[in-house]
Amino acid sequence: MKNKPKIAIFDFTDCEGCEVALVSLREKLVEIATETEIVNWRLAQKKADDGPYDIVLIEGTPITQTEIDTLKFLRGQTKILVGLGSCATLAGIPGIIDKEARSGWYEKIYGKDYKPRGIDALPLSAYVLVDYSIHGCPVDKSELLRVIQELLAGKTPKNPGYSVCFECKLAGNPCRLLDKKPCLGPITAGGCGAICIKGGSPCYGCFGIRQDAQVDNLVMTLRKFSDPAKIENYFSMFLKKTPEYKKLFDNKKERNGKP
Amino acid sequence: MAKIIPEKEIPSLASELTKTHTVYAPVIKGDETVFSEINDSAEIALNYSQTPLPPKMYFLPANEELFKVVDDELQKAGGIKPFIVFLNLKDLKAVNYLDKIMQKEPADTFYLQRRSVSTLVATTESAVGSHNGSDLTLEKRNNSTYLAHSFTEKGNKILKSSLFKEAPIPEKSAQEPLPNHFDELLLDSGLLAQAVEWSRENSPSTWEALGKICLSCGICTYVCPLCFCTSTEDKTSIDGSECTRCRKWDACTLPRFAQVAGGHNFRPTQKDRYYNWFYHKFVRAYKEFGQAQCVACGRCQKYCPAGIDIEKILTRLVEDYKKAHTKKT
Ligand code: SF4
Ligand code: SF4
Ligand code: SF4
Ligand code: SF4
Ligand code: SF4
Repeated sequence: MKNKPKIAIFDFTDCEGCEVALVSLREKLVEIATETEIVNWRLAQKKADDGPYDIVLIEGTPITQTEIDTLKFLRGQTKILVGLGSCATLAGIPGIIDKEARSGWYEKIYGKDYKPRGIDALPLSAYVLVDYSIHGCPVDKSELLRVIQELLAGKTPKNPGYSVCFECKLAGNPCRLLDKKPCLGPITAGGCGAICIKGGSPCYGCFGIRQDAQVDNLVMTLRKFSDPAKIENYFSMFLKKTPEYKKLFDNKKERNGKP
Repeated sequence: MAKIIPEKEIPSLASELTKTHTVYAPVIKGDETVFSEINDSAEIALNYSQTPLPPKMYFLPANEELFKVVDDELQKAGGIKPFIVFLNLKDLKAVNYLDKIMQKEPADTFYLQRRSVSTLVATTESAVGSHNGSDLTLEKRNNSTYLAHSFTEKGNKILKSSLFKEAPIPEKSAQEPLPNHFDELLLDSGLLAQAVEWSRENSPSTWEALGKICLSCGICTYVCPLCFCTSTEDKTSIDGSECTRCRKWDACTLPRFAQVAGGHNFRPTQKDRYYNWFYHKFVRAYKEFGQAQCVACGRCQKYCPAGIDIEKILTRLVEDYKKAHTKKT
């Protein structure tokens, strides 16, 4: 029998919601555990072997220097490194605060003498090469399963090339943009089943920006009924640490406030 | 003598048919009319103008498992229960056209299999002449009565229901709906093909501008009763013993559509991708089938979140094209 691939799962700063999604795969997780060897997973088991590994899944954002060093070390220990969830792939919720604002808050909450450990919240890809990103806050269970199946079958998984709008239309939701309500669905990769729209909220893009998305065009559409500050807010929920966000909002003064 | 059915009995007819068939029909849900499976005597929106999702979803599902290979053995997807779709004449025309497209070699056997077990029941206020591609058409003659026209064996079977009564053909008093501007534009598919093809070189600003508006969300394609592009992928089970071939609706307005192995993309900008949508519908389809791949249902323009209106674009292109060509002569 061929050697089973060794899988390890680690987490940095986050809510552990994506690992919960992994656990709730239930019998599918049992199947995965039969076909592979899960050799290190703090949340779910005692066994915590050192590397090298075949596949490492990392949840959460590296914020402290220790976490950043661990990440770099793990990169050297594994053949395939996968970001699990938007905290890891986009810096997600921890990334809402900027570096400067973060130190301001530390001072306000913990006082002047506090020596903060947190530096900045950036996605894994800011420090190491990431082979595949499973976006989502939390990740979608069937997407998670698809990626694991493809990795085990020796394929290179791809992010969905279609937008949230595909699943949104199939779900029969009225389109928010047509009702002059914000939504980032057209530029966001599908896979989530448009759950936020179903629940009455906008899509904030937690599945990541789709390949070649028409970001400027969407901003133009949003401008028809929303002011620039609000638009910036929608984008800062999950996408603040993306190049697209920087292009749109970070040097807006030089461009006379035009996104 | 002819077969007639009172308007108020049509929901009962649909519910009677659910005993032997799955029945899909337009029903009102909130502010929209949507296609939905009928159980019992649901109100049917006989005179709908357009639904967000078109009836093509019953013949070409948005997500479909085609077949499985289990331990190296091929397993076809299970049989499909016979089904009936109630639809208006535009949607009927779209299904008929889609049939032609799918029958062309290499024929799409998965689509054709679904079509072979389906029955199309059209409802209309227009006078019905010869065979219109439906199995059965219910024509509104006056406020309360529909006249049945059966064109096939499947239609004849439905006519056996006791809800249909033998009666003289009722006087027609229902208003004949007038074709709108969009319908009229489509009467000359040849002109549309010329204008669209001409515009690529001669009206580049039209396409530049659209490339800056289109969100490449794909909605126009998903809602179009005639767009049929799909992408295929294989799902492998965790232990590798099972492989399932799946297909999903795809859209030529999406970036990955024209991308081939190696990453080269034949239509690299949104302008090119958007133009391709037009080119396929109005130029290539005309060359291949002599008819634009559009029935003026208005869905794409109604549901485009960027407000792109193809009727307006076509009208302008035709005007510009005509102007350019009268000047020369
Ligand atoms: S609500 Fe958002 S995700 Fe849904 S179709 Fe409209 S733009 Fe797309
Ligand atoms: S709708 Fe948008 S924000 Fe919500 S889960 Fe999907 S991708 Fe994330
Ligand atoms: S629906 Fe509108 S915005 Fe979306 S791809 Fe079609 S034309 Fe572009
Ligand atoms: S109007 Fe639009 S959606 Fe309807 S058939 Fe024509 S192209 Fe398709
Ligand atoms: S217009 Fe595009 S999506 Fe529609 S059928 Fe043609 S190529 Fe396919």
